[in-house]
Amino acid sequence: MAVAQTDIETLATADKPRGYWSGVGRRFLKDKVAVAAGCVAGGLILMAIFAPWVAPQDPFDGTMIRRLSPIGTEGYPLGADELGRDMLSRLIYGARLSLFMGVTPVLIAFVIGSAIGIAAGYAGGWVNSITMRVLDVFYAFPSVLLAIAISGALGAGILNGLLSLTVVFIPPIARVAESVTTAVRKLEYIEAARASGASAFTIVRAHVLGNVLGPIFVYATSLISVSMILAAGLSFLGLGVSPPNPEWGLMLNTLRNAIYVQPWLAALPGVMIFLTSISFNMLSDGLRSAMDIKQ
Amino acid sequence: MSDAILSAHNLVKHFNAGGWGAARKVVRAVDDVSFDVAPGETLGVVGESGCGKSTTARLLTHLLPSDRGEVRFRGRVAGTEVPLKEFRRHVQMVFQDSYASLNPRMTMLDAVAFGPTVHGVDQPEARRRAGALLERVGLDPARFGPRYPHEISGGQRQRVNIARALAFDPDVIVLDEAVSALDKSVEAQVLNLLTELRRERGLTYIFISHDLNVVRHISDRVMVMYLGEVVEIGPTADLYTAPRHPYTEALLAAMPSLDPDRRTMEAPLQGDPPNPIDPPPGCRFHTRCARAFGPCPGTAPVPALVGRRHLASCHLNTVKEAAE
Amino acid sequence: MTQPLVEVSDLTVTFQGTPPVHAVNGVSFTLAQGEVLGILGESGSGKSVTLKTLLRLLPERRTRIGGKVAVEGRDVLALEGRALADHRGGVVSMIFQDPGLALDPVYTIGRQIAETVIRHEGVSRSTAMARALEMLELVRIPSAKRRLSNYPHEMSGGMRQRAMIALALACKPKLLLADEPTTALDATVQIQILLLLRELQREMGMGVIFVTHDIGVAVEVSDKLAVMYAGSFVETGSVAEIIRDARHPYSQGLLAANLVGAEPGALLKAIPGAPPALHAPPVGCAFAPRCELAGPRCGADPLPLWQARGDRWARCVAAAEAAVPSHAEP
Ligand SMILES: Nc1ncnc2c1ncn2[C@@H]1O[C@H](COP(=O)(O)OP(=O)(O)OP(=O)(O)O)[C@@H](O)[C@H]1O
Ligand SMILES: Nc1ncnc2c1ncn2[C@@H]1O[C@H](COP(=O)(O)OP(=O)(O)OP(=O)(O)O)[C@@H](O)[C@H]1O
Ligand code: SF4
Ligand code: SF4
Ligand SMILES: [Mg+2]
Ligand SMILES: [Mg+2]
Repeated sequence: MAVAQTDIETLATADKPRGYWSGVGRRFLKDKVAVAAGCVAGGLILMAIFAPWVAPQDPFDGTMIRRLSPIGTEGYPLGADELGRDMLSRLIYGARLSLFMGVTPVLIAFVIGSAIGIAAGYAGGWVNSITMRVLDVFYAFPSVLLAIAISGALGAGILNGLLSLTVVFIPPIARVAESVTTAVRKLEYIEAARASGASAFTIVRAHVLGNVLGPIFVYATSLISVSMILAAGLSFLGLGVSPPNPEWGLMLNTLRNAIYVQPWLAALPGVMIFLTSISFNMLSDGLRSAMDIKQ
Repeated sequence: MSDAILSAHNLVKHFNAGGWGAARKVVRAVDDVSFDVAPGETLGVVGESGCGKSTTARLLTHLLPSDRGEVRFRGRVAGTEVPLKEFRRHVQMVFQDSYASLNPRMTMLDAVAFGPTVHGVDQPEARRRAGALLERVGLDPARFGPRYPHEISGGQRQRVNIARALAFDPDVIVLDEAVSALDKSVEAQVLNLLTELRRERGLTYIFISHDLNVVRHISDRVMVMYLGEVVEIGPTADLYTAPRHPYTEALLAAMPSLDPDRRTMEAPLQGDPPNPIDPPPGCRFHTRCARAFGPCPGTAPVPALVGRRHLASCHLNTVKEAAE
Repeated sequence: MTQPLVEVSDLTVTFQGTPPVHAVNGVSFTLAQGEVLGILGESGSGKSVTLKTLLRLLPERRTRIGGKVAVEGRDVLALEGRALADHRGGVVSMIFQDPGLALDPVYTIGRQIAETVIRHEGVSRSTAMARALEMLELVRIPSAKRRLSNYPHEMSGGMRQRAMIALALACKPKLLLADEPTTALDATVQIQILLLLRELQREMGMGVIFVTHDIGVAVEVSDKLAVMYAGSFVETGSVAEIIRDARHPYSQGLLAANLVGAEPGALLKAIPGAPPALHAPPVGCAFAPRCELAGPRCGADPLPLWQARGDRWARCVAAAEAAVPSHAEP
């Protein structure tokens, strides 16, 4: 209390007003780990977008002579897979589908889940209770099982995989959205806004959204890595993406027999999944602490 | 009284405190509270923590639906005869926590301008008015307008909250512990601002506080609450010099004396205030009252007129045998 | 003259960091055995830090402490190990604003008091328990025997504060430090605790330093008062002298803000502005930006002192000049 007070006094005498988001940016840039993670994640995204220019070879073009060439083979810096296709190119192209499968379901679930959670949280009372109990039913299943069950029922295919992952992520995001909104709704500035005579819709738009979307978004970014791993798992099981499309999870699956011959080669898609998920996780951690106003 | 600007009629609010069926417990936060406020008057509300002051404030401003009873604005029932949206333009509120009552992601200018835009004022006009109001409460709009709540001090935030309430050009402002969290020197500044604004605009205040000194300074009349009920209400000078309820007496006697030669020698009450869950039957104060007698544990006293605009709910004022 | 119980001279406390905080800037005072000193000041003025220094409770690595602090003639700043442990709780003990934070939620009240007694006096558990009961009775907790086995959360606010006082007094300290112990309590409970403290202080003959921002509370318990602003004492004197004849403009403003002698409904003589941030040590008078009497002389370092007696003084140019009419030149 006393500490905060003095800080406030300093700020009050500093003449240049500083906005909330510029403060977030400043704190984020100070966090070396988060910035590094952001660079890695950004690099991966760029790599996916510019895959045709970055990849040295055609990812579908294989020769049996090159089968399972080790890392460091001339012309094939990361070796070749079980069909003799260039590993580096496949990993680069794989970023497209893998990131797509990681980000898209989370994005869609973020929109739907936030809407449900914010509405339930702001309404409160029995509306809230019923919505949350229904979501809890979904939430009770382990997410892997739920994803497998749904995409199993829908059948293989990218779209079905996407759909099942989206369904898996809506309940946790809605729950977070609900709890953040409930906390905000109890604050006095919401009461003050109600005392102004504003409608519920106006209050949500002007006072609730800005204060809850940030934390929900941070939580959602942390799900991207989960989504990637689940998508990889689906592909691994033969659901989701199907061969010969390059996707890290699928590559891990098809290379699993090579694990005794070329263990390092077989591990490469796993390394990519790990790298991506950890960089997204650290990025969201960094965002979380940068958005903490009390820092 | 039809000339009252704002009046409460038998307001009741009970909260669930857990349990179901027969074991259900309720907090009787506000239990049958009635009073009225005349235009231009300041009504102070005092009482110990948990006695229902904030709940009363929220019922008065319709931020909380009451279980029973009604609030009237200029004699018309709020929510039905006066539509809520209009009622809210007339009756505004300022909260204790200056930080929590401001949107952390809204600049001070926008916070003050928000209310009028809700009521149809266009954006540039609302911002112009907001600037003028910030100026009025002593904050340079050019310097403080673009700031966020965490960038200004507690006293300055509370000025913004007052400006925001003023933006509606209200008749009544309910101030719930609005100066309690401020440092003494800053509190005095805000009290002065409130006094000036009241003179300037003929405002009516309902001033809630646990600080009896401040309440005496600013109020015309004072209402004392105990465990969800009004125990005494009357003109400030009368109530402070000749309280007619033992609880008011005790509360006043518990005030530090500010005179080193006349220090308090004896605590007027023993023990802590009881829980508002299952309050004692009869007079709710009888468990701590030094003057409790015959009817007190069994019969609840009703408000009785003990002076001009002065009501107290105590058997001592009404029952004959108490005289001996 | 006998040795004073507490002797603090020119105490400075700086918290290192970006930016640093100069929390205490040159505080000096003495406290005799059995005397009660009230320290009065607003939030952030350094009251708690001053108290914590006497107990060496500040984070060692980030804090730079200058000056001298002696309790019973022993240099507190030099205490180490066993001697420091004896000092804390044995010679000096402290009660806090929030008993909920100071009491350990997982042990019963009786056990907490007994542990303290055992640690400091090495008595047997049963003796310690008997002392715990005695202490709870001393602070007038009803049905004390039963309360021994209560956990802190099972007690009301006022009861917890009593329990904390019992804990603090269990080893019969020579000096009790009280940091706003009644601020969180209701008015009718606050006065009970104040009276209790006053009575126990007299019975046990302790020295007490009582920190508060509430003048009324300070008047109820103190013999002497010190008014603190921006990490320095700006005025000291007996309670009556400060209340009736404050010489420092800040003390006067604080009294006005506490509605001492204010006319109902009238405007108060409020001090403008807000206390300074203590990121640099103040030069001259720290109150100058808010003082209506401020002039170029107020930047002098050190500031002239108005002094009537050893412990009756105010550090203010205007006060010093008013007392020496020959200095009253334009
Ligand atoms: N939303 C709620 N749900 C349950 N109980 C509540 C709620 N709001 C208040 N109460 C209870 O109602 C009683 C009255 O609360 P209220 O906040 O009105 O007291 P108060 O007089 O304002 O106290 P304080 O001085 O501490 O602010 C308290 O016992 C409180 O715990
Ligand atoms: N551990 C710490 N690290 C850094 N700064 C600190 C620390 N403790 C206190 N301070 C700073 O030292 C200054 C004095 O604080 P202190 O707690 O003594 O104030 P106080 O007078 O007790 O105020 P209050 O009435 O709010 O308790 C404040 O500016 C505070 O921010
Ligand atoms: S009614 Fe009886 S118990 Fe209640 S305040 Fe009056 S005398 Fe005391
Ligand atoms: S020294 Fe000067 S500025 Fe400081 S209090 Fe005295 S007159 Fe005011
Ligand atoms: Mg309240
Ligand atoms: Mg403190």
